[in-house]
Amino acid sequence: MNDRTTTAPPVLEVRDVTVRFAGLTALDGVSFTVTPGSVHALIGPNGAGKSTCFNVLSGLCRPAEGTVTLGGTELSRLAPHRIAALGVARTFQNIVTTHGTVADNLMLGRHALTRAGFAASALRLPSARREQREHLDRAREIAELTGLGRHFDSPVALLSYGDRKRVELARALCLEPRVLLLDEPVAGMNASERARTAQVVGELRAELGLSVVLVEHDMGLVMRLADDVTVLDFGRRIAHGTPDEVRQDPEVLRAYLGTDATGEDAA
Amino acid sequence: MSDRLLKALTRRRGRLLLLAVVLCLPPFYLDAFWLRIGLFSMAAAIGAVGLALLSGTAGQLSLGHAFFLAVGAYGYAWFAGEPGPGLPPALAALLAVLLAGAAGGLFSPVAARVKGIYLGIATLALVFLGHHVLLTADSVTGGFNGRSVPPLTLGGFAFAESDSELTVLGVPFGAEERLWFLGLALFAFTWFTARGLLRSRPGRALAALRDSETAAAVMGVDVARHRSAAFVVSSMYAGLAGVLLALVFRRVVPDYFSLVLSVDYLAMIVIGGLGSVAGATAGAVFVTALPLLMTRYADQLPLVAAPGSAEGAVGPTEAARYLYGAAIVLVLLYAPDGLHGLARRAGDRVRRRRSRTPADPTDVPSPPQPTAAARPKEHTP
Repeated sequence: MNDRTTTAPPVLEVRDVTVRFAGLTALDGVSFTVTPGSVHALIGPNGAGKSTCFNVLSGLCRPAEGTVTLGGTELSRLAPHRIAALGVARTFQNIVTTHGTVADNLMLGRHALTRAGFAASALRLPSARREQREHLDRAREIAELTGLGRHFDSPVALLSYGDRKRVELARALCLEPRVLLLDEPVAGMNASERARTAQVVGELRAELGLSVVLVEHDMGLVMRLADDVTVLDFGRRIAHGTPDEVRQDPEVLRAYLGTDATGEDAA
Repeated sequence: MSDRLLKALTRRRGRLLLLAVVLCLPPFYLDAFWLRIGLFSMAAAIGAVGLALLSGTAGQLSLGHAFFLAVGAYGYAWFAGEPGPGLPPALAALLAVLLAGAAGGLFSPVAARVKGIYLGIATLALVFLGHHVLLTADSVTGGFNGRSVPPLTLGGFAFAESDSELTVLGVPFGAEERLWFLGLALFAFTWFTARGLLRSRPGRALAALRDSETAAAVMGVDVARHRSAAFVVSSMYAGLAGVLLALVFRRVVPDYFSLVLSVDYLAMIVIGGLGSVAGATAGAVFVTALPLLMTRYADQLPLVAAPGSAEGAVGPTEAARYLYGAAIVLVLLYAPDGLHGLARRAGDRVRRRRSRTPADPTDVPSPPQPTAAARPKEHTP
């Protein structure tokens, strides 16, 4: 159905990206490289520019300077739906699901992979119906994978907070992404929900070999999952390295973890 | 499992067949007055389904629906009639629908960029512009007096009063009886296509646009393209409704296609329940039939004066407007998901009661339906 999953994901490179909002510099010459198949965490205190960085990566926000490239393609000039078609999927910090059932939401994730247009769908042509059936099967598989199998036909509005958060993850996965951007995937979840999501992310990376960019305040999760960590503060990159290196970095301790450096953050 | 599915499928087929038979009966039992109510309702339902797709599903308000109805109605009258190319009526009908779509397409640079309530304001211009053109372009539209509409003929069969008397099962088939079946066919086509759209890729993309433009965009939905496509499709349904209206009226006049008509269509989809085909139909029947029925039975209704009586009295048309104004307020206050939502909840209640009586341990309770249209919050990046 889709050959993107079989090939290794390309390198995602962020170079000297600067974003300004009317006098406020949200990102100031930020650079980092997401190596294929790795989990790259983006951390920093509130207002450090993590979500702005995600908005740049997914095309919702245009950088004033700098470039974002995926493989050989420059993303920073593309519209969001073109970036999605290249295999970059994201979730949001606050849940953004649409009206309807879990299935509806997951099938929205298949949008870029399907072709059926207005005419074919209105006339219910066999090609459109077949396509829908095949992709619905795959969406169901993904729902099972993320632990949403039994909620597949329930309205999203009735699900618990943790489940709705997972719907977003599953919807992003339905894009069969090569790069997955997760904006605080476990914020507001309880311990068992967190563990479950962490496990899913770990499995995904092992099975599908996709690159993951992760924004998260839960340091335990970051340290456990991430291969590389980039630390932002006031829009600037203040540290970069493996989780252990970053943990030792005095600049990080001062700016982000605070003086007692327990690694716990009220998410 | 597959056995149950098969049973459910045949039950659905059976219900559809029954519905089709019931809908085919009125010409044999009801007089022209009731048939005209039915025909106006069908035409309104076709237009309302189009608007429901645009406003209910894609979240784009349009006050220009009357304009596209006019394009369809006048387009048909011009293509098929004199002055005009005088094409075969069936071809003229098709061209009129395409013309309405093209008119929607011409507006799409605006429709793709302007969203929600702002599009409503932008489309206001269309109604005034359209009305002005209808009044002044005499050679095409016939000006203030409008123009007569040539009847539709299909393979020698005229959907109008014709010289060759047609009697089916002892009932003489005049214009209304014949048009009834044409209306039914067009209405069925509208249901088939609109539901097909809503339940597949484009429909989901449009609903996503309404709920969160950002989420839709990052999931790969081309926002501008889908907005303009929704507008074009909605215009085409309006054009089809216009053609049917023209055939029923047998004469098109500019004053019918005013802003009030656009507002009527909005009332239909709000009363029926935004974004559902069944709801739009129910709302269309309610808004269309109510004034006609009240006019007919004005003398038997309290507080309603007969049409044309003393000034200051509330005539049936005004009374109908008060009634459906009240209906809109009631719907918005107590049933934001409209008649369609009310019907669904009532159905759920009946089903639950029925499943409760025979204690069936294997029966898994269905998840409760949301009581009101609960919608997730919009994300602002």
